[in-house]
Parts: sequence; C-alpha cells; structure tokens
Amino acid sequence: MDADERLLLRPGPERPAVSVRWDRDRLVTARRGDTVSLALLDQGILETSRSAKYRRPRGPYCLQGDCGTCLVRIDGLPNRRACLTAVREGIRVEPQNRLISGPDPTVLIDTMMRSGMDHHHFMVRPRVVNQIMQGVARNLTGFGTLPDREPEHPARHEIHRPDVLVVGAGPAGRAAWSVLSAAGLDVLWLDRRDRGGLGTEAGPPPEALLPHTGVFGVYPQEQLWAAMSDVPEQAEVLRSIFPRQVLLATGARDPIIPLPNNDRPGVVAARGLLRQLERSGARLRADDVVVIGEGEHAASLAEDLGTEAVAPERVDRIEGNPVEALRLRDGRRSCRLVALAAPPAPAYELARQAGASVAWESGGFAVQRDDDGRCVREPWPVWVAGDMTGYLGERRAAMDGERVARALLRNHPPASPSSPSSRP
Amino acid sequence: MMGKGRAQAMGSRRAELPSRVDIAIIGGGIMGLSTAYHLSRISSLKVAVLERSYLVSGASGRNGGGLRMQWGDEGNVALMMESIEMCRGLAQELGINLWFRQGGYLFLARTEAGESRLTRNAELHHRLGAPTRLLSGAEALEIVPQLDVSDVRLAAFNPEDGVVFPWPFVWGYAGQAVSRGVTVRTHTAVDRIEGLADGLRLHLSTGERLDADRVLNATGAWSIELNRSLGIELPNHPHRHEIMSSEPLKPFLDPLVVDLATGLYFSQSTRGEIVAGITMPDEGPPATEVDLASSRRFLAHLGRALTTIMPLTAQLRVLRQWSGPYDVSPDGDAIVGPSPGLPRLYQVCGFTGHGFMMAPAVGKLLARLLAKGERHPMLERWDPARFSRGGSTRREDMIIG
Amino acid sequence: MPRRSFVCRCEDVTLLELDHAIELGLSEVEELKRYTGLGTGPCQGKECMSVLVSHLVRRGLVDPTTVQPFTARPPTEPVTLGALAAGLPAEPES
Repeated sequence: MDADERLLLRPGPERPAVSVRWDRDRLVTARRGDTVSLALLDQGILETSRSAKYRRPRGPYCLQGDCGTCLVRIDGLPNRRACLTAVREGIRVEPQNRLISGPDPTVLIDTMMRSGMDHHHFMVRPRVVNQIMQGVARNLTGFGTLPDREPEHPARHEIHRPDVLVVGAGPAGRAAWSVLSAAGLDVLWLDRRDRGGLGTEAGPPPEALLPHTGVFGVYPQEQLWAAMSDVPEQAEVLRSIFPRQVLLATGARDPIIPLPNNDRPGVVAARGLLRQLERSGARLRADDVVVIGEGEHAASLAEDLGTEAVAPERVDRIEGNPVEALRLRDGRRSCRLVALAAPPAPAYELARQAGASVAWESGGFAVQRDDDGRCVREPWPVWVAGDMTGYLGERRAAMDGERVARALLRNHPPASPSSPSSRP
Repeated sequence: MMGKGRAQAMGSRRAELPSRVDIAIIGGGIMGLSTAYHLSRISSLKVAVLERSYLVSGASGRNGGGLRMQWGDEGNVALMMESIEMCRGLAQELGINLWFRQGGYLFLARTEAGESRLTRNAELHHRLGAPTRLLSGAEALEIVPQLDVSDVRLAAFNPEDGVVFPWPFVWGYAGQAVSRGVTVRTHTAVDRIEGLADGLRLHLSTGERLDADRVLNATGAWSIELNRSLGIELPNHPHRHEIMSSEPLKPFLDPLVVDLATGLYFSQSTRGEIVAGITMPDEGPPATEVDLASSRRFLAHLGRALTTIMPLTAQLRVLRQWSGPYDVSPDGDAIVGPSPGLPRLYQVCGFTGHGFMMAPAVGKLLARLLAKGERHPMLERWDPARFSRGGSTRREDMIIG
Repeated sequence: MPRRSFVCRCEDVTLLELDHAIELGLSEVEELKRYTGLGTGPCQGKECMSVLVSHLVRRGLVDPTTVQPFTARPPTEPVTLGALAAGLPAEPES
C-alpha cells in the first residue's frame, strides 16, 4: 500500500517498524506502540470477522476493550481483543468466522430475510427443513476455533491483601492512586490495558500500575475480587484479591448509535479512536473521518479529531463496505471512518456485583454513591470515582478521583506505617 | 412479520384472569407450562398459569439443556426415552425452534466404581431398547478427539441423547397453551392460599383473587416456601447449582460429555458456547432458601476438571457464569401428586436438577392424571406421601451436578 | 446488503427485531435480553445495554426512575479456564 493510501499521518518522530502477519500471508508494517487494531486500520483492513446471524462484515468498533467485535486470532489463540493488544515483531493475526471456501451465503441470507430474521420462528416446519437449517446455523455461528496448542507455561495464582485496590488507570484512577500512595497506603493498582495507554502527562510512574490485568469478578460471599493478568508471551496469573477497601474508577463505555448500517467496518467510537491515535502519536486527514453525535460532547471530539460533527437526525445511512460515505438527508459526505460520539455510558458492572445500586441518568446507568463517594460498606468499603458515576470527561474525572481518594483517607486514615507492599 | 413462521403471544402481565378456573398452576416454568399445554390438548378444563416474574426467570431458564436416556433406573430410562421421542417433533408441534440436537451423551469412567456403573447401566439400557454403547478410551477419542483419555477405563455413548436451547421450550409451551385458551399471567405472585368448601382461593400480589377446584404447585425449588405456608412438610430442599458458558467457538464438540469422577459435564450449544457445570465438593448443610449467587470457587473447580479432561481448553475464556436452583428430593425421585392433608393441591416438584429434560413426558402424564385420573406407573413412586409412609427408596445413581 | 440498524452487533439484533419482541408483549429488560439474544454475546451488554434502555425509555415502556440493567454476571473481563484452574489448592480433590 502506498503511504498516501494509509489512513494515519504520523507527524512526530519516527517510531521503530514492527511487522505483523495478517491473515496468514500478508505482512503489514506497523509502528511500535500501535495496537493490532490501529495497525490494521492504518492499512485499510477494517473487516476482521463476519457476524453470527446475518454474516455481515464486522471490525473493531469501541477501540477500548468493551465491544466484542475486534476479536481476532492472535498467535494461535482465539477471540483475542485486537484493540488492547500491542503489536510485536512477528505477531500472527487472523480473522475469524470468515468463509474458507465455497459460495458466500450472505447474499442468500439477506435476500431471504430482507426485513429481519426471527430466529425463533425461522424454518421450523417441516421437520426435515428444520434439521437442515439447524445444521447450517450451527456451522455459521461461533467465532474462533480451538487454540492451536496447550499453554507453554501453566497459569500461576497470586494472593493480594492490599489496603486499597484501585481499578482503572484513566484520569480518576490516576489521580486517586497519587493521593492514596502519597499517604503511605499499600495500593494495588490495576488496569486491563497496557502501560502504553497511560497517557504522557505528568502523573504516577508507569511501573506503579499492574497492567494487562482485568478484574473479572466480585464475589461478596467469598469477600474476594478476582483478576487475571494476561501479559503477552507470559504465563497467565490469576489474582485473588482480599482488599481492605476498594476504589473503582472503571470509566464509561461508548454505546453504538442505532443508524442504518451502523455495523459497517469503519464505524468506530470517537473516544476510542482518539485514544488510539494519541497513543501512537498519529492523526487522521480531516476528509477521512466524520463524527456523528450531538451537543458539546460530539463537538469537542470532532474538534480533537480535526473534523466536523453531524447530528444523528441528519444521517440517512452509512454507505460502503468498508465505509465510504455518510448519506445525509441533505447531501453526501465521503469518508473512510465514521466516529460515533454518543453520550458515554458508565461502566457499572463491577460496582453492581459488589452490591452498589445504579440509576438511569442521561443515557446510561450511573453508580450511586454517598457524598464522600462510597457506594458499598460491607464486606469492604467500595468507593467510586470518575465517569462511572455519570460521564464527567477527563478533567472533571481527575478532580473527582482526587476528591474521593481524600474522602477515603479521611474516613480510614492509615493506621500505621505502610505494611509490606503488594505492588508488582 | 419477520422471516418465515409466526410468533405468538406467550402470556403477559396484562393477561386477563377469570374469577374461577378448574386448575390453577403456580409457576410458569417448563413443568407448569408443559402440563398446561397438555391439559389444553386433552381436556376442556379451564386452566390458568401464574408466574411471579417473567417466563424463563427460574430454573427452566438457567439449566444446561441436556436430555439423556442414560439413567441408572429402569423407570427413569423409560421416561426419558419417551421424553426424547416427544422432542423429535416438538419444534414443529410448538411452532418454535428448540435447537434440539442429538449429538449423544458420552460418559467417561475413570474409577472402578464408575466402570461398573456404566457396565450395569448399559445392560439395562440394552434391555429397554436404548442404543447405549460401551467404548474404550481410544474409541471415545474418535467421538471427541480433544479428550485426554489416558486414565479413562470405560466410556458409554448413546447417540440419541442430546441438547436443546432451554428458553424456547418455555416460550413454545406458553404460546401454544395461550392459543388454546389457557391464561398465562406473568409478574403475578401467589401471596396466600385459602381453603374454600369447594376449592382453593389464591390471593395474588396484584390484589386479585383466583378460585380453583385444584391447584398445581409447579414452583420447583420455591415450592418449599409455598408448601410450608400451608403446613405441608415435604423433605425437598433447594440447592444452588452453578454453571458457565465460554466464548462462542466454531462447532467441534458433538456430544455432551460427563466425567463421572468429578461430576463435570460440558457440551457445545448451537451458538458455539461450551456450557459446563460440575458437582461441587463439601457443600455443607442443605440450604433452606434459594440462593442464586455465583462463586469463584465454582470456576476454579470447573476450570481444573475441564482443563484436565480436555487440555486444549486451558486458554479458552469464560463468557459468563450464573446459577440455578436444583430442587433436591432426598431419594432422588420427584414429588408428584396430591399433597398429604390437602388433596386439592397437587405437587410437581423434587426433580433434583433433571426436571427440564423430563418435563415433556411429565406434563403429558400429569395432564392425564388431572384430566382423566389416569395413573402412569411412575406416579406410584413419586407419591408425595411416600416419605411419611416410609416408602422412600433411592433407585437412581446417575444424578449429575 | 440491506440496510439494518443494529442495537446489538455481537448477536445481530436490529431495532426492527427489538420492536418485534416488544410487539409480542415483552417489555422487561431481562426478558427482552433472553428473547432477542441482545447482550448475550462476547460483549455481554457493554455496548448495547444503554442503547436498549434508551429505546425503551423513548417508547415509554419502562419507568426511567426505576429501570435496572440486566444482571452483570461475572466475568466482566476475559478469564481463561487455565487461570481459573490455578485458583484451586494443589492437593487433588478426593
């Protein structure tokens, strides 16, 4: 691909090249620090799988680990998130659920089910037709295939008993960590992302964070917070965390906007796109991207992306596969990416598992808390800060993280000099 | 209408209740709805089903969807042969996709005790006409190549056993029952039952009342609570059973596999997820209330057992975990029939985690009992009065989970 | 390719399909999830939950002051069976 066909402009100092093997035989040159998603997007590779029912082409959407459609096979392991995986030399990336050979049933499926598919009542009778349909359906669903091999190193188990578990390395989590660790508390600080997503502004030292570590469950009956560290090319680590207190800063997710063809490869979340570009020191040509969304939130994301925002009401449909243009009620706007900027929805799941209540507020379920920022008292106090309490944006989220961390210290001052560290 | 085929109303919170019915069924799970559907087919009795939440909210929406003939007791084998036979054409009968797939059940025995159980059961199955085959570990590998069979002593495979997607069973029975005149009312609990001279009066959470000649308690693990409020003491108790599913994979696993040594079972759904559960060791004293929490402990036991028997699953990811209540009967047999001391209240509970697969056959035999007084041979041993009579015997050794 | 507006891309649930389920009398978040399949795919509702509830609120089918999301079941982040197995004590089960 010629340099000028690439999506990304890279104005800063040149980063070392890394080659990525895509779909068995295509070598893609990425730059160190890119995620697999961004490296593929740069080359115009936007379709990474076919969907379960309609077999429509799909690619990365949220670009921050939430959505589930950037799943690819990486180095022989199925269903890995391309958007959270940094490129490394020789990494093998393969699409999933694409047809190996034979005619593509997509056209047939679309013709038969133009208005939609009621899978409960589709081809029920007669029995012989039903049996054939079930056999075909079984082969069309599912994403990855089994791993190529057993793990080279068996997973390990580690137990942690920190003063405070802090989940999330966004603005609120960073601010909270700084306050808590300065007070001498033993803080275990986790994020599912790598350290490359931490941002470049002044803040906690990157080594303070345990990266690649997603908290997957809260089990109040076992008084346990459970996480897994999945560092590339290392044994997985299961972490059983018995914290004294917890401060959650899990942020907000970017919902899709229900518009015609909102599933086309090239439709991405504006916030996720922006973070990926920042991390790689890259930017887009103004012509290549357009934002869909309303109000100040969409306008500011459009400005950061160097383009304009279009209100959803103006959009008739998205065209092309991958995206070629936005068909507007009053015209057409060519583009290669459509960036959606719906109001972010708080990531409430862990808080709710811990026993917090949530309430519907302006487009998402916000975690409810007392004036200090506490949402749960037993069996451990749980504090929540930042966008998960209702979308605040980066600056206000950081302030909130600091405020809640100070409230935690006021309510539970450190009893004695710091206990042995459980930091990595 | 979308696609081919036709969807129908499945009951709702707005369904209008008559003031009196012949039979009121408490519980809109598969037992209650299968019975309601069969009653509507063979009788003109007026029937209403009351579900306190939404359809599939209870155990019928929480199970792994397995159906097998491979039981250890003659009565259960025969019942399940009938249930599976009914399931063959049930999607067409109910007008909804059930995703019934006969990929078989593969039992693995890794101990001497397990080996002798499988051998004895296979003889029984053979005598009853169920096509169970005994296999060596190497032969089991031909059915599921990814297994580690190094310490498998014997396997048993029945190709007619299978799996379904549980939810549409419930919707299908409900839809057909409604179209035949049964009232299915959701989001309505029974707060209290009052005896009348000629029946029972149900006081409902909506403030309504419903009078019925006879009432069927089809609330599974929640039946204990209802029975106790009426002074009926039966020895069943709720038991939390946890289960999980993996991220969807392309199809590779045809049968449902059971490892007798650990109580692990797993299959692959039509959507490609591995659905798996396991018998948990050291569960403590019997529970008195339904508990639907999830535990990390369960995931650890399940992970250990599954990665041992199929090592390639070690780097597969869990998609979600949940739990459902088993309604455990002390002798492993169901509790079905008129209640001791309150014969207008019928019980259909105590199925000990295996009610879903039995429901097609049980609904039919129960409808015959209620509408025509016909007594299926299983009703004798399922009699709720057996416990007080001292007639309770454990016959079944193939209860999994 | 026909135009489709998706609410849930994991399980291919369109706005039209959601409205079809609503026409059948379903209105609760938990039952719409089960009937349409929405939120049951790899993202487990992270992308689609707020889209569903926004739609229900807009159509006046749920009370925004009391509506709740469907149960947030673990795992909320990926965890492998092998890592989970490591959480058991080393001694074999009896």
